[in-house]
Amino acid sequence: MQHSANARHIWVVVPAYREGAVVGRTVTELRRWFSQVVVVDDGSPDTTGDEALAAGAVVVRHPLNLGQGAALQTGIEYALRRGADFIGTFDADGQHSAEDLAGMLKVLQHDGLDIVLGSRFLGRAEGISWARRLFLRAAVAFTNLTTGVRLTDAHNGLRIMTAAAARQLKLHQDQMAHASEIIAQVGRLGLRYKEAPVTITYDAYSVGKGQRLSNGFRILSDLMSGWLQR
Amino acid sequence: MIIQIFLSGVLVSVAIVVALQRTSTNLVRLAVLGVIALGVYFVWAPEQSNALAHAVGIGRGADLLFYLWVIITLALIMFMYLKIQRLSHRLAELARAVALAHPEQPNTTGDKS
Repeated sequence: MQHSANARHIWVVVPAYREGAVVGRTVTELRRWFSQVVVVDDGSPDTTGDEALAAGAVVVRHPLNLGQGAALQTGIEYALRRGADFIGTFDADGQHSAEDLAGMLKVLQHDGLDIVLGSRFLGRAEGISWARRLFLRAAVAFTNLTTGVRLTDAHNGLRIMTAAAARQLKLHQDQMAHASEIIAQVGRLGLRYKEAPVTITYDAYSVGKGQRLSNGFRILSDLMSGWLQR
Repeated sequence: MIIQIFLSGVLVSVAIVVALQRTSTNLVRLAVLGVIALGVYFVWAPEQSNALAHAVGIGRGADLLFYLWVIITLALIMFMYLKIQRLSHRLAELARAVALAHPEQPNTTGDKS
């Protein structure tokens, strides 16, 4: 069942909120490549957790909705407790490809890196709208400017990292700003990183669930208040 | 005279409540009591606030108090915002601890992990 010929512990973290309709399919697809998947049900009112469980994922449930950043942190902590050597992150809505993640793991191991980040702009972004492209480009420019990390894609949920890197990451941004926060910490901690081209598939479902333009301002203000507290 | 008695009454009431608070730190309590004492003083000696206003380049004492009030309010909003942020982080940690205490394993057999 496991195509990634690797005996080491790999955990894939899937933060999920109200993804009952698709999370089962996402987990099934992931488990063709990775046997250990943990879905963090971020206080969903729907059947997200049950669908994930039925598809063969371990499920940890937040008693209330905290946001994707918090869910990622919870999943990473779970994976570390289970003795993971490598930890991947994967969006629940099915826009990522598990095969891409397996490829990123190879890059991580082969190049001796701390973290590999998926980039839709090195790869392919199928069905992306011009407004979304513009928004994501602006997010990249902002992130590059503020973190000193050079990337082509700042808000991609597909990542894989070593346990040592995962242990150093501390996500304080509970909401969507965590994507920028991860990159900022990659820069601050001096982690060895690389981007890998990945394919993002935008179907009607993920477009409906994804980032809206107005979220950009939300992310910006979250980040600023984060700096204030430091 | 009526408004002065009314304002003094309100300020003194607030002072009593603050003085009896056990939760806030002594420093905060002292600061609030100081501000209230100053308020009472200016209620009964408004010309003093005028003099102070002139000294710092503001026309009227009432304007000076208004500006100070705006600044203090903004500072309070900021303080409360940061406090809410801290609280929500602690809430997140609590929720995380609850979540991690009860992981649910899939009921597939042969999953040795």
